[in-house]
Amino acid sequence: MTSLAALGKRAAPVFACIGLLAAWQVASLALKNDSFPTAIEAIRAIPDILGDKESLINILASLRRMAIGFGVAVLISIPLGLLMGRSRAVAAFFNPLLMVIYPVPKAALMPIIMLWLGVGDITKTLVIFLGVSLPVIYHSFEGAKAVEEKMLWSGAAMGLSPAQRLVRIVLPAALPEILTGCRTGLVLALITMITSEMIARQSGAGNILFNALDMGQYDTVFAMIIIVGAMGICLDAIFERVRARLVRWSEPQFDMPLSFS
Amino acid sequence: MKVVPSRSSEWVKPVTPQKPASAIIEIKGVSQVFQTSARKDHVALSDISLTIDEGAFVSILGPSGCGKSTLLYVVGGFVSPTSGSAKIKGRTITGPGPDRGPVFQEFALFPWKTVLGNVMYGPRQQGVRATEAEAQSRALIEMVGLKGYENFYPKELSGGMKQRVALARTLAYHPEVLLMDEPFGALDAHTRTRLQNDLLNIWERDRKTVLFVTHSVDEAVFLSDKVVMMSTSPGRIRQVIDIDLPRPRRRNELLLDPRYQKYVVDIERMFDEVEETGSPS
Ligand SMILES: Nc1ncnc2c1ncn2[C@@H]1O[C@H](COP(=O)(O)OP(=O)(O)OP(=O)(O)O)[C@@H](O)[C@H]1O
Ligand SMILES: [Mg+2]
Repeated sequence: MTSLAALGKRAAPVFACIGLLAAWQVASLALKNDSFPTAIEAIRAIPDILGDKESLINILASLRRMAIGFGVAVLISIPLGLLMGRSRAVAAFFNPLLMVIYPVPKAALMPIIMLWLGVGDITKTLVIFLGVSLPVIYHSFEGAKAVEEKMLWSGAAMGLSPAQRLVRIVLPAALPEILTGCRTGLVLALITMITSEMIARQSGAGNILFNALDMGQYDTVFAMIIIVGAMGICLDAIFERVRARLVRWSEPQFDMPLSFS
Repeated sequence: MKVVPSRSSEWVKPVTPQKPASAIIEIKGVSQVFQTSARKDHVALSDISLTIDEGAFVSILGPSGCGKSTLLYVVGGFVSPTSGSAKIKGRTITGPGPDRGPVFQEFALFPWKTVLGNVMYGPRQQGVRATEAEAQSRALIEMVGLKGYENFYPKELSGGMKQRVALARTLAYHPEVLLMDEPFGALDAHTRTRLQNDLLNIWERDRKTVLFVTHSVDEAVFLSDKVVMMSTSPGRIRQVIDIDLPRPRRRNELLLDPRYQKYVVDIERMFDEVEETGSPS
């Protein structure tokens, strides 16, 4: 019984993917549109892309920019968010600033940044950095604000200085919330990665996709969409593994069954 | 109403030789006013003065909301009073320090640390070597009856177990003054009795100064040298009762002792009065 349920839990995402592909296949057969290849045609084009050295270099360059943008954003945003959550002055200073930046689509800033920094790696990495920063800052801020005061008092009584309390109490206590922000940030990093390459065409996964679109190679376009989607799923799965390991202490212990499960 | 216990000839001297009692904590004219969300001033503590002798076990009794926790926070240095001052060993308290160890009503355990990690936290912070800190912490965990739970996380413990971890965590770094906010409130009667005995044993051995908040008259009389009775809105001290009962105290002997019974009955009556009338106008 339990092993069956566990098996079901494992197999569920696979079934979801198969279902989605099947629906795609049926829809494209029904629509008979040139710019909408079937799922099978798109999947057939994947090996061509991944087998091509040029394309692989492009995709790896994209991933590298994304990793740097994400990494730097997380390293700066977590301390900033935590400080904002624990200091009213810091929050009062940065909050209006972030409020202005938050709703702006980061890709919309690209043309300006391109004027300043050119169309190279720096511009694209910067845009990814901006896209990732805000959710991470926001969640770190909320997490730090919610830290139980008595916990900080306990630390203070043990002789922890304010800086030590921030690193050794606020950071771990807010970690579940921070990691929620990082997970959102990771997805946004992938999205901004593609959009940045759409605007500054030069290299990258987004470049392959939009070049193919220009040339009317729709199977390649959809193959790239599958590849990007798969990258997103893989990154998210890896991140989720790490996250679950780091905050095992905070996870609820039992599944709370709803009426339908 | 005043409780004047008759000093009987059976009065037994404390285990430690009697030093001239010196004040370790002096609270002078402390008031605490909170701004409530309705933008009204709420007087939680009004003109509290209290002196606590070094090595004394002092309990604070009073109805819910009378400011017992707030008073403890002032002594802990976690909040600064609106007016008045609190001193420890003659120095004005301006912030928390390892000389005063709080045990909070809400436990405030570190959820990302195991039971052992929580208890070791203080000693490690104080620079005790890891092996030594671990040995001491394991002994404390055993004392509070949690042997076998060393590697459990707080979320895996019951309320009473958390409370015991909180107690062990504070005892672990040997504060001179223990500030305990209803530390046995979430325990079943049996564990409560056991931990009261353990606390008394520790206290009789180390003679730490203890400021102990409780709802239970029984507990206050059993443990304390002095019981401070507070009344509510605004929080005031109504009476300070010296508990003149022999030490070391044994529960089974004390329960049969008419003097103990009289203290309990008298203080319970006082509690009822305080609760009915609130503060004197
Ligand atoms: N941060 C705060 N802001 C506003 N009012 C507060 C705050 N903390 C406490 N109070 C008020 O001060 C009063 C005393 O609170 P306190 O927690 O000290 O009571 P207590 O005697 O410990 O009660 P209990 O026995 O229920 O724990 C209460 O009326 C409470 O509403
Ligand atoms: Mg309280």
